[in-house]
Amino acid sequence: MAAVQETVEHVKEMEVDKYKYGFETDIETVKAPKGLNEDIVRFISDKKGEPEWMLQWRLDAFERWLTMTEPKWSRVHYPKIDFQDLYYYAAPKSTEGPKSLDEVDPELLETYKKLGIPLKEQEILAGVRKQGEPSELEDEIGGEYGSGKVAIDAVFDSVSVVTTFKKELAKAGVIFCSMSEAVREHPDLVKKYLSSVVPVSDNFYATLNSAVFSDGSFVYIPEGVRCPMELSTYFRINEAQTGQFERTLIIADKGSYVSYLEGCTAPMRDENQLHAAVVELVALDDAEIKYSTVQNWYPGNKDGVGGVYNFVTKRGDCRGKNSKISWTQVETGSAITWKYPSCILRGDNSIGEFYSIAISNGYQQVDSGTKMIHLGKNTSSRIISKGIAAGKSDNTYRGLVSAHRKATGARNFTACDSLLIGDQCGAHTIPYIEAKNASAQFEHEATTSKISEDQLFYCQARGMNEEEAVALIVNGFVRDVIQKLPMEFMAETQRLIGISLEGSVG
Amino acid sequence: MAAEILKTKAEQGFADQFTAGKSALPGAGNAWAEGLRDAAWETYASVGLPHARVEEWKYTDLRRLLSEAYPPAPALAEALNGDDVAKALGSVLAGLECHRLVIVDSQFRPELSDLGGLEGMGDIQSLGDQLSSPADWLKQTLTQITPQQNDTVIALNTALMSGGITLRIGDNVVLDKPVHIVHVVAAKEAASVTLRNVISIGAAAKVCLLESYVSLADTPLQRNAVSELIAGDGSDVQHIKFQNENMDSSHLTSWMTRLGADVTYKAFQFSIGAAVARNQIFVTFAGEGSTSHVSGAVMGRGKQHNDTTMVIDHAVPGCESREFNKLVLDGSARGVVQCKAIVRKHAQKTDGHQMAQALMLSEMAEFDSKPELEIFADDVVCGHGSTSGQVDDELMFYLRARGIPEPQARALLIAAFVGEAIEKVSSEPIREAFRSMSETWLEGEGA
Repeated sequence: MAAVQETVEHVKEMEVDKYKYGFETDIETVKAPKGLNEDIVRFISDKKGEPEWMLQWRLDAFERWLTMTEPKWSRVHYPKIDFQDLYYYAAPKSTEGPKSLDEVDPELLETYKKLGIPLKEQEILAGVRKQGEPSELEDEIGGEYGSGKVAIDAVFDSVSVVTTFKKELAKAGVIFCSMSEAVREHPDLVKKYLSSVVPVSDNFYATLNSAVFSDGSFVYIPEGVRCPMELSTYFRINEAQTGQFERTLIIADKGSYVSYLEGCTAPMRDENQLHAAVVELVALDDAEIKYSTVQNWYPGNKDGVGGVYNFVTKRGDCRGKNSKISWTQVETGSAITWKYPSCILRGDNSIGEFYSIAISNGYQQVDSGTKMIHLGKNTSSRIISKGIAAGKSDNTYRGLVSAHRKATGARNFTACDSLLIGDQCGAHTIPYIEAKNASAQFEHEATTSKISEDQLFYCQARGMNEEEAVALIVNGFVRDVIQKLPMEFMAETQRLIGISLEGSVG
Repeated sequence: MAAEILKTKAEQGFADQFTAGKSALPGAGNAWAEGLRDAAWETYASVGLPHARVEEWKYTDLRRLLSEAYPPAPALAEALNGDDVAKALGSVLAGLECHRLVIVDSQFRPELSDLGGLEGMGDIQSLGDQLSSPADWLKQTLTQITPQQNDTVIALNTALMSGGITLRIGDNVVLDKPVHIVHVVAAKEAASVTLRNVISIGAAAKVCLLESYVSLADTPLQRNAVSELIAGDGSDVQHIKFQNENMDSSHLTSWMTRLGADVTYKAFQFSIGAAVARNQIFVTFAGEGSTSHVSGAVMGRGKQHNDTTMVIDHAVPGCESREFNKLVLDGSARGVVQCKAIVRKHAQKTDGHQMAQALMLSEMAEFDSKPELEIFADDVVCGHGSTSGQVDDELMFYLRARGIPEPQARALLIAAFVGEAIEKVSSEPIREAFRSMSETWLEGEGA
């Protein structure tokens, strides 16, 4: 028991205020007036210089949103959100059309430096590719390393601030830009695919997002192209009382491949911040999209005050034959997480995957999982979910696997495991499995346990101390998922897990 | 704007039944019984019949499935005899050596029952009689065993229950034969039967209970039956159900069980009948060191809809629960298994596992499964599994390669599949009866 006892104590000691990204950047911003009405929607659209059709699309969504009510079914509890008490648009002032990074507010660059994620990626890469010293962030974003592997789009509050490596991507024909730019530059693609996966009125938060989304990333990989580098978007909420509503759309045309990473952080604030994003993925014939998330929004302090409400709709559509969409997520942040990255397996032989690590501590509440909707023939899906609950948190896996009448030969394997650390937390599993034809073969298994005494004893008998043993076991527990992360994120994630469960992993 | 929610035809029918029939229901005139009914009616009427947007009833939408409310079964004009009961049960179960209690529609019929050998072991009464002058133990038991506040079907049962039995088995009683409670419906016209059994098993008693639900005629039936069972410390209880009501029936049963300390509770439900069946099982551990095994076998064909919903509540530490269900689904039959295991905050050292498996014999069959874990204690071992698929081609090939013709090979594999569940029945004569009935079912399959 001793080791576990110690783990529990460490977890108790571990204050969520140790949140590393809890700084706030003091830069001038342009904000829309507080509250939400038609004028705000017009204001946002105007700020973005959007064409009339986009404005109309937003207004339609807003009208629908007015008729909807907040969903209540998830296993999370929070005070009612006053949607009129939020800012729906905030943008760093100096970013209105920067031509080069020299024009970007130095404070902002400093922020990115502090955030560390892009920096760290670059460092790792630099190490690999003979760059001895980590260099200044300015240089990196400036594109000095033409051979670097990760292109980054950074979204600060509501606005995409900078997108790197655009030129190089353009050579391959890849479009990687902010959503607002895409609306202006590639209206045909946007019109064709926007809301084709997550309909405007899909759910309360998706509809809200449709009305007020401020920015996000847009990716288009043309037919037969294997995207030459990892694409990455970095999201940060900075302003107080702002909601962040980004919208991401990724289209992989026939036979193409792309790997996309996203990272998220927010400053420490006493009030709760709302983040309601929509992510849509479209994979056409033989295309593959790999989407990885490291979500580390501010989780609130040790008493459960503050933190981000992360209400996100993510869905991928395997529209073409033999297409594949793979979601990998590491969820360590947010006061409340409510998200279900899903795959619609429409094309015959398409494949959906979901790998998830969700760690909750303090007063965090996580209700996350996936949906695998088998519509095409011989489609297959795989779900590996690892939930770790500590402190006073609640960690729920909620998932749906369904096979349509015509989805003959559908195949699913699901494994969701939960690990509990301490007796104040809860771990829940709510899977729905719906087979509507005989040849669908579904397997589901789930386990819940604490770190076993036997495992600890085994490790300790081999000379490890208790903390090392716990670290080893927890790492082993999540290994299946970590391995699915792109190399650049792997190191980041292992570190993040360390922070989230500080103490319990040494 | 506050428009009243529209009632479905069935809901309106139940409302009329309650208003019109309330004064004729057993216990009328007794303040306690009336209070119980009125409170239950309030609960039911505020929500109505459960529908697909009620999470627990997601897959069994009663607003849609119950098109109207049938009138309560009238008192029988003609007398039934033992042969009628045997006919309804089928030859296999009719021959079972047991203490037999017969309930026709909702009325306990001592003259059809065989209670020899139970003298001094226990006490059997008609619930209707008890409600008129309720004993203290009944007041403390009825609706109290594992209250399900939000379940409107149980509330409807409390409001409209028109019969059933109370069965009390004394401490340390060991019964050598199963107690067979036969629920037979004899109504000649479409009817509803709402009944409740209250069963109390004494400390260290050892009992095997079999509840059969069968129908004599092909008339449409709506059954709403609730059995509340309380198992005393150290008791050993087998609780088995057999359901083979006619194909025009809707069958709603709820078992609410509370286990004391060191109890061994083994429940099994074998369902082959009814157009719509919902089997609810609620088990609460109230004492440490108990074990609950709830298993079941469902065989469905045609348009049958069979839903087994279980809630196992580990309210105390150190208990073990197992849920094991197997379904064979043919035609466009739909099988549902929902099982929720709750481990409360202090219920350390809980060991809980559940498994649901469906074998789909036809392209149109459907299986929905929701194995749910809700865990608030850390020192636990819990797991669940769910699988569905069709008859394994490789196994078929293996058998056929050994010269077994396809239909027999198929039947063999199906029998083996469902047999794995039936094996969980400890009582040998009942297990053999179920095995034989499952084989008969398969023959009807033409497999």
